[in-house]
Amino acid sequence: MTVTRRRAPRLITVAALIVAAASLAPVGYLLLREGFSLRRLIDALNSPSTPELVGATALLVLTVAAVCLLLGVGLAVLVTRTTLPAPRLWIVLFTMPLAVPGFVAAYTWVAASYRYVPSSTAIFGLPGSTLVLSLNLFPYVFLPCVAALRGVDAAQEEVSRGLGHSALRTFFTVTLPQLRVAIAGGMLIVVLHVLAEFGALQLLNYSTLTTAIMQRVLVLGSPESGRALAVVLIGGAALLLLIERIARGRRTPARIGRGVTRVPQRWRLGRGGTVGWLLGCAATAALALGVPAYIAVVALVDSLGGSGRTVDWARLGPAAWNTLQLSLFAGLVATVVALPISWLYSRHPGPIATATERAVWLVHALPGVVLALALVYIGVRAFRPLYQTPLMLVAAYVILFLPLAVANQHVGLRAAGRQLDEAAHALGYGRLRVFVRVTLPIALPGVAAGALFVMLDSAKELTTTLLLIPTGMSTLSTGLWATTNGEVLDFTAAAPYGVALIAVGVLPAYLLARRTVQLADHRR
Amino acid sequence: MSISRHAITRGFAALTAVALALGVAACGSDSTAESGGATSADTTAGETSSSGSSTDQAGGTVELTVYSGQHEDFAQALADGFTAATGIAVTLRSGGDAELSNQIIEEGDHSPADLFLSEEPGPVAALDAKGLTSPVKDATLAEVDSRLVPSTKGWLPYAARSRVIFYNPDLISEGDLPHSIMDLVDPTWAGKFAYAPSGAFTSTVAYLIDTIGEDATLAWLKGIKANGVNEQKNGKVRDSVEAGQHPFGLSNHYYWYILAKQSGGADKLASKVHFFDHDDAGGLLLTSGAAVLKSSQHQDEAQQFLQWLGSADGGQKVVAEGDAAQFPVAPGVNSATPGLPALADLHFPVVDPTVYADTEAAQALIIKAGIA
Repeated sequence: MTVTRRRAPRLITVAALIVAAASLAPVGYLLLREGFSLRRLIDALNSPSTPELVGATALLVLTVAAVCLLLGVGLAVLVTRTTLPAPRLWIVLFTMPLAVPGFVAAYTWVAASYRYVPSSTAIFGLPGSTLVLSLNLFPYVFLPCVAALRGVDAAQEEVSRGLGHSALRTFFTVTLPQLRVAIAGGMLIVVLHVLAEFGALQLLNYSTLTTAIMQRVLVLGSPESGRALAVVLIGGAALLLLIERIARGRRTPARIGRGVTRVPQRWRLGRGGTVGWLLGCAATAALALGVPAYIAVVALVDSLGGSGRTVDWARLGPAAWNTLQLSLFAGLVATVVALPISWLYSRHPGPIATATERAVWLVHALPGVVLALALVYIGVRAFRPLYQTPLMLVAAYVILFLPLAVANQHVGLRAAGRQLDEAAHALGYGRLRVFVRVTLPIALPGVAAGALFVMLDSAKELTTTLLLIPTGMSTLSTGLWATTNGEVLDFTAAAPYGVALIAVGVLPAYLLARRTVQLADHRR
Repeated sequence: MSISRHAITRGFAALTAVALALGVAACGSDSTAESGGATSADTTAGETSSSGSSTDQAGGTVELTVYSGQHEDFAQALADGFTAATGIAVTLRSGGDAELSNQIIEEGDHSPADLFLSEEPGPVAALDAKGLTSPVKDATLAEVDSRLVPSTKGWLPYAARSRVIFYNPDLISEGDLPHSIMDLVDPTWAGKFAYAPSGAFTSTVAYLIDTIGEDATLAWLKGIKANGVNEQKNGKVRDSVEAGQHPFGLSNHYYWYILAKQSGGADKLASKVHFFDHDDAGGLLLTSGAAVLKSSQHQDEAQQFLQWLGSADGGQKVVAEGDAAQFPVAPGVNSATPGLPALADLHFPVVDPTVYADTEAAQALIIKAGIA
């Protein structure tokens, strides 16, 4: 095989660079906007708030990451490697929190506390925020771990056991290291979500860099000081990306052929253990899904009963329709523009591939408000006809959620190993034909999963949507926010939108769960 | 193995088909949106080449675009009332006060907004101070309470809210409430009250800077941060006091009146409302303001909106009779909200609302105190 074959086609490289540059434009805006200087940055950051906010943000990132790591990996091991009954049901249930937008989950928890223990403030602050965010975000760790655990070759574990190591030691020395990529990738998504979360944390009275930025921009009307904090936030995100890069490791697990992978033996739980773990799983599902679903339904009943305000069906319908259209478009556009980057990253690793892939992740850590302000600024100046059209909103979703498409496409493209490309090449197929006939069919589930993630997150997005939505238009999330503006603890007025939002998310979340089950099954 | 792959592939194909179908549908709705956009772009172009009579270019129907930081239902009621009275259609863009005033600044000359309706005096006064608003006609300003009109005449006060205390009589009696919000820095109040760093809070800080100076204001803010519970939003201050989480909280009067109405009367609520009723910063009367933007292509119609908004039988009637429970500002018009005192009977610090324009100094102090 020649060196020229390995070099990426120029067209793909250029396309990947353009996409990465477009993604980075908002970050550039932070630094290049007129009126920004290092001196102003230092001035703006020189306040007791800054270290306090950095500390509070770091603390929340750590607590949520720890709980998500425990829940995500623990539950994944439980459903894939033990005799726990109904593993597929649990996989679906533990994926479903993805269907619940973070601010809706927080809202329902706050409403539950207000309804049943009105004078308690336990749900507010760090413990409540950790609880609500962790229960909402752990699927991002759980799903890749399930897929990875089912892919681990039993032979290696058997060798370890054969050498006299305990089951636990085998898990930590043989199995866990093979989950590194899955865990690191999942944890990265979790912590970046925590960094960017606004609605949920405002309801839960916990201040982070992002809530402070939103507060400064939206309420105080001081975008300059908000942008200064955003620079700190981006710095933090960049640091996390670097940590993930290191945590993931350089090596991919050695694998010779793929036909011999067998399913490892499942650990027997025993009767008492089975009951105990089943209760644990049920409790997790009840907290993560039961609380939001129950409150949403109870509040919906109140709302339909005429308490608070009546349901405005004339507004709910179009809002749901807009949400569907916008998220579907965002999913499709993101899929197309992510391809050059994921292709480059999986087929032609190197500095350019790494740089473009990291670039789109960096933007994922931006709070929606910064991206929105940047797009308003750029839109008004450079893309005047697009300003305040649905296209602008789709562009924002694509920029925000592009990494989800890239990451999943990457998994798909890796499944369609480059050896196959090369074999097809050797048989005389052209590049495009190889891609369309060989690579794409195998990679399609990964590509589709990426599109689903983008659709799901676009449908749930609140912050950017509030700022970029065309005048007179509304989506489910802005409709929900408009019912109360995050002002009240009671969920009644918001319930119809909340239920609709969850309903919109259930199908993509279910498809993702199904894909994980199938991915795991076909490795058997 | 292949079965599962086909299943997901088929699923994706189905989704793609749905998306394409939606795409066709959306192209239809997009083109309507685009034609709307094109209209405004055309009028912009028309204005730059030959200023003036560009409005009938599109066929004579003028539509006003209003950016509103006011509570959406309230703003919608005002917009509907104006349309009913004049036949001029209004498109409303609702959002946060500061968010939308900043958006207007970002949009500059290209702003699609004809009018800005603020919730707080600060953001609209700041637009005025930046020279982005057209002067309001004297006849329009003459309709409203002269104590509330800004000396610059760059915007029209159209509604007002009073800063108040909500308290829970189970936890504190009215007689034990602080006489002034300046007292709250005393350690005896630690953990006893809630507050929210809202727009009204920023206005209060701007007022304090003007009356007691920056240093004293900063000291006060630090005391509030140390002693109070930050509930983020005025509505949450109300709900948490009502729930008994705090003895009392600083907020705006109408939150409580709205809840009383929704709950079927003031007697259904655990909490009560307390007006300071003297010249204390805790009892400021803050006006919502409306302004015509200089960049608007529809100056006449926008001024007509202000005129309607300030008139006793127009906008003021909507303010008085609406669900928003805010004070109407035209003399002689009283709110229909049960239990709400008449503006004429209420004591509050009288101040030129232009003091609220320097939101930047207030923000800087709030940030410096570590509250945001």
